[in-house]
Amino acid sequence: MEDNTITARTYGRHIVQVPSDVSFCAGCNACEIVCTLAHDGVVGPCYNRIFMEKGTHSMVTVIHSCQHCSDHPCYEACARKDHAMCLDENGVVYINEENCIGCKRCIKACVFDPPRINYVKSTDKSKRKAKKCDLCRTRPEGPACVQYCQVSCLSLSDK
Amino acid sequence: MDKLYGYVGKIARINLTDGTVSIIPTSNYVPKYIGGRSVCNKIFWDEVKPGTNAFDPENKVIYMTGPTTATGIPTGGRTVFTSISPNSLPEQYAWSGIGGWFGAEMKFAGFDGFILEGKAAEPTYLYIEDGEIKFLSARNLWGKLVHATQRRLEEIHGQDVKSIVIGPAGENLMRNASVTTSNDNVAAKAGLGAVFGSKNLKAITVRGTGTVVPADINKVLELRKKMSHPPMIQRPIIQETHHGVPGAQSEVSGGWQRAQVACSYGCNQHCMCLMLDMKSAFKEEKVNHVEKCVSIFAFGFSQDVPYGGPGGVGGVFQTEQNHYPACKMLSREVDPPDTSDPYFELEFAPGPGDILDFWKHDFDKGNVINDLCNEYGIDKWDVIIWLLPWLSMGKKEGVFADIDFGMEIDVESEKFVRYLIDMIVYRKGYYGNLLAEGMARAIRVLGKEKFGDTIYHGRYSRMIDKQLDLPISLETAWGHSVHWQGRGFEASIAKPAWVATNLHQMTATRDTQTIQHHHDTFENYLQLKDDPCRSVLTARGVIMGEHKAEMKDSVTCCDWQSPDLFWTDMEAQMFTAATGIPMSEEEMNLAAERSRNLFRAIIIRNYERTRELEVNAIFPIMQYPDPWGETVTWDEWNDLVDLYYAERGWDKETGWPTRETYDRMGLKEVADEMELNGKMPLIKK
Ligand code: SF4
Ligand code: SF4
Ligand code: SF4
Repeated sequence: MEDNTITARTYGRHIVQVPSDVSFCAGCNACEIVCTLAHDGVVGPCYNRIFMEKGTHSMVTVIHSCQHCSDHPCYEACARKDHAMCLDENGVVYINEENCIGCKRCIKACVFDPPRINYVKSTDKSKRKAKKCDLCRTRPEGPACVQYCQVSCLSLSDK
Repeated sequence: MDKLYGYVGKIARINLTDGTVSIIPTSNYVPKYIGGRSVCNKIFWDEVKPGTNAFDPENKVIYMTGPTTATGIPTGGRTVFTSISPNSLPEQYAWSGIGGWFGAEMKFAGFDGFILEGKAAEPTYLYIEDGEIKFLSARNLWGKLVHATQRRLEEIHGQDVKSIVIGPAGENLMRNASVTTSNDNVAAKAGLGAVFGSKNLKAITVRGTGTVVPADINKVLELRKKMSHPPMIQRPIIQETHHGVPGAQSEVSGGWQRAQVACSYGCNQHCMCLMLDMKSAFKEEKVNHVEKCVSIFAFGFSQDVPYGGPGGVGGVFQTEQNHYPACKMLSREVDPPDTSDPYFELEFAPGPGDILDFWKHDFDKGNVINDLCNEYGIDKWDVIIWLLPWLSMGKKEGVFADIDFGMEIDVESEKFVRYLIDMIVYRKGYYGNLLAEGMARAIRVLGKEKFGDTIYHGRYSRMIDKQLDLPISLETAWGHSVHWQGRGFEASIAKPAWVATNLHQMTATRDTQTIQHHHDTFENYLQLKDDPCRSVLTARGVIMGEHKAEMKDSVTCCDWQSPDLFWTDMEAQMFTAATGIPMSEEEMNLAAERSRNLFRAIIIRNYERTRELEVNAIFPIMQYPDPWGETVTWDEWNDLVDLYYAERGWDKETGWPTRETYDRMGLKEVADEMELNGKMPLIKK
């Protein structure tokens, strides 16, 4: 659940879930799936950059995504800042995975619970990487999760 | 094979007797057996011999995902169980599909499927995480309701685990017990929950951090776009004032809230609705409940659904412009019919449903029935479509005068329904114990002539303005109740459609729906409608449907997606996108036929299945009139069976596949064994 103490923060453009009086998340996982397919060519829970909090018994699903905080504490905490965690000209906080050493500092620094950064566990150290939403910054069609949400309950905030 | 895309490569053999696990490579079976049910059929054929009963430790539960599971291909979240069904009469090898998130998580944990063998010495559950399988004590879970079990497992292992569990019904070997996921997806058909119970297995809990790699990502994304037709619109929570299907709705005092949920991993179909804040049978607080197909009748069952043309409301016969899978209208997510269709008027000609007078609309009671079935872990179908109508009809005809359940029979009363289902689940007293054996067996013990065949006089057809005979037991064949078979319930399809559905049922071992709703083209309908039993098109339509059902359960995908009569290589495209193995429509059909004939060989070898058994099992139900007063004659039916067997390459006298048929689909070793067993038809010159 969102931490109320951070509501005063300012955020950049980010993925938002449309309130349920407009559209109700079907809980289909499509957003997670297309995100990992578009970025990594795989489907797997460690690769998600958008997170579903599925109320398995309530059957009500809440979507969590990176808010691209304007003070970006994850970026500040990165051991390889500007090489691994990077900021682009639009304020998008993204990871250059080639340079990510998998130290998890960014995950610990994320101000949200659950953190909006995922982590690939692997016995192979070189494969341990942090994964986070980059707003599909290099994808010509824009955010894949928004494009493929079947009930149009995701959109890009205009902040 | 270097790498099997779409799969993770391993099937776990789990022995509950000695607590051991061994691994079988998935490539032992795939691609010859596509996945899902097709692989299960092969494993069962190889490993379970005749003479095994459902509750014997030698019975196996085989579970398989398919190539599409967790690849992002829509509806690929569905997976399949097979085993000897305790609910079939007689017990036979059967299957059950299940949606939810369990199958995808199994793959993330490193397994494409598992074979459960033996019997645990004490209540046990399995905990599977990233390739490791642990046998843990379920002493503290045994006796718990379905959701309490799911919650407890989440407390022990963390919120993100996915579990399948049985409820008290499965533990007490109630023959129609289900296996259930946390969001009430169930493997309900065939009663496999009771097989779990017989193995002392309460649950399987899984967590995985691995990946699934589809071969062709662009194709997966293209399929996601193309398969979601009609596209979903924005779906707010809607306040409803009425409940029921169009044409048979009742007002709900205070209304109710409807939302929309997906039922399995990556699904983009529109098949069900989420009912928010419903009355629970067990808790003070309200619960959310998924409504799908049969649930709707729990609320009120005084008339059948209205007819919608010769195809009936299910759209059994379809044109390119108007093709909706049966029941899809429950979610109200279909386009309005295209009235420019030249067959529009014929297809959608409205007609009033039969008056049945089973029970009046009662919204809260309906919710309680659904909640009881969900929490105890029972197939709702048997309760809503068989047990309760039987009690309603039998009471009105006076057959229960000498029966003392301990409470007066009154299906209109919520109190009685709670009492009754509780009595059966916990096998309380003589009748609780008897009815837990399933309706078919209970009726035979009580005396079928009186307790099954007594005529109910309350069914009335508004189509022909006439009272129509209906037996008080809606039994069809193999110990299951009618389902889209033109009798009493879902009578709303005309003869060309119900002869096909009964033919599907004849060669099955369980209720063939929902994975085999009959579909055919309207062009075929126009040719076969006047004499459906004498048209080879009926037989061909059924064979097409049976093959599509094998594909659906093997690829895997769902009945609301497939068959698409106007996109015939869809399943082959799904397979190729997932695995990278080229598969043409013809090859996919052959693989489906292989799976079907392997299933055929199993039921012939293990259960002595013959033409005589099949015809005798299905014929009686078709002697009761449909809403137009139609039945089939012995000759009509046998003519259709002849046509069907000939098209299948099965011998007309025995119903057994010929050697040529087995050989054609690469099942030589099966043919050899059948010949050794004396189950190969003699070739007549
Ligand atoms: S990862 Fe967390 S801290 Fe970093 S920008 Fe996103 S929401 Fe803010
Ligand atoms: S915007 Fe792109 S990167 Fe961010 S969650 Fe959506 S699909 Fe993933
Ligand atoms: S794709 Fe849309 S409907 Fe599906 S889980 Fe994501 S946000 Fe919800």
